[in-house]
Amino acid sequence: MRLTSLLPTLARRGRILLALGGLALLTGCNLDFWTMKGHQSTIAVDGPVAKSQLDVFLVTCWVTLVIFLIVGSVLAYATYKFRARSEADEQAVPPEQGHGNPLIELGLIGASVLALVIIAVPTLKSITYTHDVPVEEKANAYEVNALAYQWWFKFEYPAEPIAGSGQLVSANELVIPAGRPVHINLRGMDVIHSFWVPKLAGKVDMIPNRGNFLWLKADAPGYYWGQCAEYCGDSHAVMRFRVIALGPKDFNNWLNAQTSPAREVAKVASTGQPKAQFAAYRSDWKRNEAGWSAQFELNPFESWKAHQEPDPKHEDAALIAQGRALFQSKTCFTCHVVRGHMVGGSGAYPDLTHVGARTTIAGGLLENNAAQLARWISHPDVVKPGNKMYVNGYLANNIKLTPDDVSALVAYLSSLK
Amino acid sequence: MEATAKSHFTGKEEHAPAKPSFAFWRPTAKTGLMSWLTTVDHKKIGFLYGSFALFFFLVGGCEALLIRLQLIVPNNTLLTAPQYNTMFTMHGTTMIFLAVMPLGAAFFNFIMPLQIGARDVAFPRLNAFSLWTFVAGAIILNVGWFLPDGAPDAGWFGYAPLTSKLYNPTHATDFWILGLQLLGVASIAAALNFIVTIINLRAPGMTMMRLPVFTWMTLITSFLIILSFPAITIALVEVMFDRQFGTNFFEVSNGGMPILWQHLFWIFGHPEVYILILPAMGIVSEILPTFARKPLFGYPIVVFSGASIGFLGFTVWSHHMFTTGMGTVATAAFSLATMTIAVPTGVKIFNWIGTLWGGHLKMRTPMMFALGFIWMFMIGGFSGVMHSAAPADAQQQDSYFVVAHFHYVLIGGSIFALLGGIHYWFPLMFGRRVSEFWGKLSFWVIFIGFNVTFFPMHFLGLNGMPRRTFTYDGNMGWNVGNMIATIGALILGTGIAIYFAVIIYTYLKGEKAGRDTWDARTLEWSVPTNPPPEYNFAVIPTVHARDAFWYEKHHQSEIEQEKAAQHQAEAAHGGIHMPFQSIYPLVASIGALIGAFGAIYHNLIVALIGGSLLFIGIYLWSLEGAEGYHLHPDEDGHDDAPAPKH
Repeated sequence: MRLTSLLPTLARRGRILLALGGLALLTGCNLDFWTMKGHQSTIAVDGPVAKSQLDVFLVTCWVTLVIFLIVGSVLAYATYKFRARSEADEQAVPPEQGHGNPLIELGLIGASVLALVIIAVPTLKSITYTHDVPVEEKANAYEVNALAYQWWFKFEYPAEPIAGSGQLVSANELVIPAGRPVHINLRGMDVIHSFWVPKLAGKVDMIPNRGNFLWLKADAPGYYWGQCAEYCGDSHAVMRFRVIALGPKDFNNWLNAQTSPAREVAKVASTGQPKAQFAAYRSDWKRNEAGWSAQFELNPFESWKAHQEPDPKHEDAALIAQGRALFQSKTCFTCHVVRGHMVGGSGAYPDLTHVGARTTIAGGLLENNAAQLARWISHPDVVKPGNKMYVNGYLANNIKLTPDDVSALVAYLSSLK
Repeated sequence: MEATAKSHFTGKEEHAPAKPSFAFWRPTAKTGLMSWLTTVDHKKIGFLYGSFALFFFLVGGCEALLIRLQLIVPNNTLLTAPQYNTMFTMHGTTMIFLAVMPLGAAFFNFIMPLQIGARDVAFPRLNAFSLWTFVAGAIILNVGWFLPDGAPDAGWFGYAPLTSKLYNPTHATDFWILGLQLLGVASIAAALNFIVTIINLRAPGMTMMRLPVFTWMTLITSFLIILSFPAITIALVEVMFDRQFGTNFFEVSNGGMPILWQHLFWIFGHPEVYILILPAMGIVSEILPTFARKPLFGYPIVVFSGASIGFLGFTVWSHHMFTTGMGTVATAAFSLATMTIAVPTGVKIFNWIGTLWGGHLKMRTPMMFALGFIWMFMIGGFSGVMHSAAPADAQQQDSYFVVAHFHYVLIGGSIFALLGGIHYWFPLMFGRRVSEFWGKLSFWVIFIGFNVTFFPMHFLGLNGMPRRTFTYDGNMGWNVGNMIATIGALILGTGIAIYFAVIIYTYLKGEKAGRDTWDARTLEWSVPTNPPPEYNFAVIPTVHARDAFWYEKHHQSEIEQEKAAQHQAEAAHGGIHMPFQSIYPLVASIGALIGAFGAIYHNLIVALIGGSLLFIGIYLWSLEGAEGYHLHPDEDGHDDAPAPKH
């Protein structure tokens, strides 16, 4: 009798084991999933703010895990011990009709409060610490502004004035000094967005009509992934950005390069090296197709450094000049600033003065190379549904680009180091 | 006033009403479409609530499957960005307002009056109005699927200024606004009805501290509804005015404050979470004692903790807004307040385990769902404690970690309990019982599918995957987690399909169930027949103890004498008074539906037609009077020849 009633139970447990085993096999091949060391990991962090937030998380994790094990064991034991083992057992005289035990109940309430105090203390400490740059580091803090638009980020450097045009402005890639606290003023310019670089700091929302800020510090130079974390419309999923932390010397070099006007390409004679075949870009991009290359992925930080250097060998001065003319004739310049090349542009659109020196385009979505640039400017609506460049630019001004136009524009934009 | 009093209390013969005019025609059909459209019977209304809720549960489930299929691999193209955004908006809105809430309302309607020994809710026609207004709201929310403007796509939380005319020019957002507004009307009307019913219509001896826990949770949930829905009503009116009449509540360029929306929304939104979970806790608190065959452990503390959860639920809304830059003081205060909610919630779990302890646990399907509920709700509760700590939440908010958390609470919590409740009360509602084998099979498939879907999401969230994203790149370390989650969703979908197939089969052809199928403890099982007759109790029971029916079963001779006396008293009063059916609640709801369309399309004439119809419906409903007829069943519920109408 016992055996027969046990069989279905065993069979049931067997099925669970089988399912779990299958799952383990499935996931065993890729440990990344369990170790959580991705580009946007909140576990493998690289700055004190994210570290403080992680520490609080780990405290909550351990406390709740211990409680879970205790309560879970009691629950499992009670279920096992007191279950009816047969039909007869079910029909037996009912157990004692006890109504509870106030002492046990009050004791458990006390224990829960105690467990919460263990969580509350580090929580309060961390709330204060993560809120703003610590007083003793205030003098050393670097200040930047981050402004969010549908669907890209604009970064302003109030500490880097530029004669005639206010301050240094960049888009989608925030370059900061490593080892220094950075105080970032956050503002949403249309709808609500959120600034999130998981490895450096938790998110803070970028809200219209509300001055928010956060602070973060990168322990060492590096290349970090960030993403908008508040649903902000059609292309929310592809509103991304990067943070690049540089040592003091590199940071100064970068500032010097960025504060200069856009680069002019001298009309030197060809060196005989083959030029890139700009007209031969693939045009069969699938919607949502990944816009990064495995090579870039190998060492993004090195790749970023490589982007800072002009590559005269592969440049075609004539094509670049043609692109520069198109940039004007196709009205691109009415929105996009290219400081030093032409007068125009608005602060509400990405500044392209040094776009060639960025590793990404289209709001951190695509790798900045000729192929992706061509993909982006030929079909912005496919790459980023609903984006303003397509709606207010291409559609409103009836802009049509031929493949030759695209190659010239790509050459020009790539030259803007 | 006098007419109402008469119809309730005069004997069967003496009261002959004046010949009703055409306007006051009272439908009398007991079968067929008309009987459903004009019903005022709380059981029929409960059944309709349940049917609509389960239908929308399937709709929301299909939306969820499309979401998961889109995310099965990186850079997938199954759905476009706007389609995906519509899916998650409608999935959230549908599951919360059109599935879980009305499923709770179905149980409130069907079970609560039976549990307190009442023959109906206090206001039967208002009850019908709630139901049809809920249906009207559901129609408006979903009508966009069939119109060029499309269904709502600004998120179930509809953060301003994304909902403004500038960023959402089509009527999709108007459907969402007016749909929720009607659902709010339905919910508040229903909640008031339940409160009055529980306060006033309890059987003799049913003191507040003898109320079954499910009824207590109904009461607390109803209070949460009437206190929290006004906040979203105001917020929705404001956003509607911004869109329709150019006001500036959230219009940034004119000094509006988008953050205001978030406060109003979450002052509603957080109690709403408890509106979804408290009924589930009530159901579990009924199932566990029945199948453990002993009373609930620490009843007063369970009730009190339910009330404290409801109360504290109003003090923690800003924990949804830790990332909005509230400053250290507010953040710390809301962090601590949120942590305190863990205490009454934990107490409930301790008491459920205490109920199991020393019992004779009958491992039937409802019990499986109840135990599954405790396990899953514990996990969801613990991840809730994790993001009550604001610094941890700064990383988790709007990531898949949160998605995992609230699905553990809402599926592993609410849905498990509601599905278990359907199994538990099925014999009572339909007189048939679900096969144990198929019931348990569906439970295990659902349980496994659910965990395979949502457990990996904790890892995805900690690895930085934001929610509400229609695509992701393959280099972020999210591929495996998403693949597993989608496979899990397909398993979960299969489990739900089995569950529904079994329920429908049982409804049509299942094994007949006798009275009191589970040897239960509360009054709903004491009704004379399964399903209960329209008058519920042949004799209104007198309550002597907390588990009233259990007491009755163990004190039979005493109860029989009492019932005989009570029966004579009722017969002397003219038998059981039953209210007439009425068409006007439906008319009023149709008016509200038409009026809402007028508001959506900014069309004064349509709005006036709808408004007039609503007004006429309510006016005639008041004028037609309660009226009613009398029934004379014997003590065991066998009808004597039913008395003629009036």
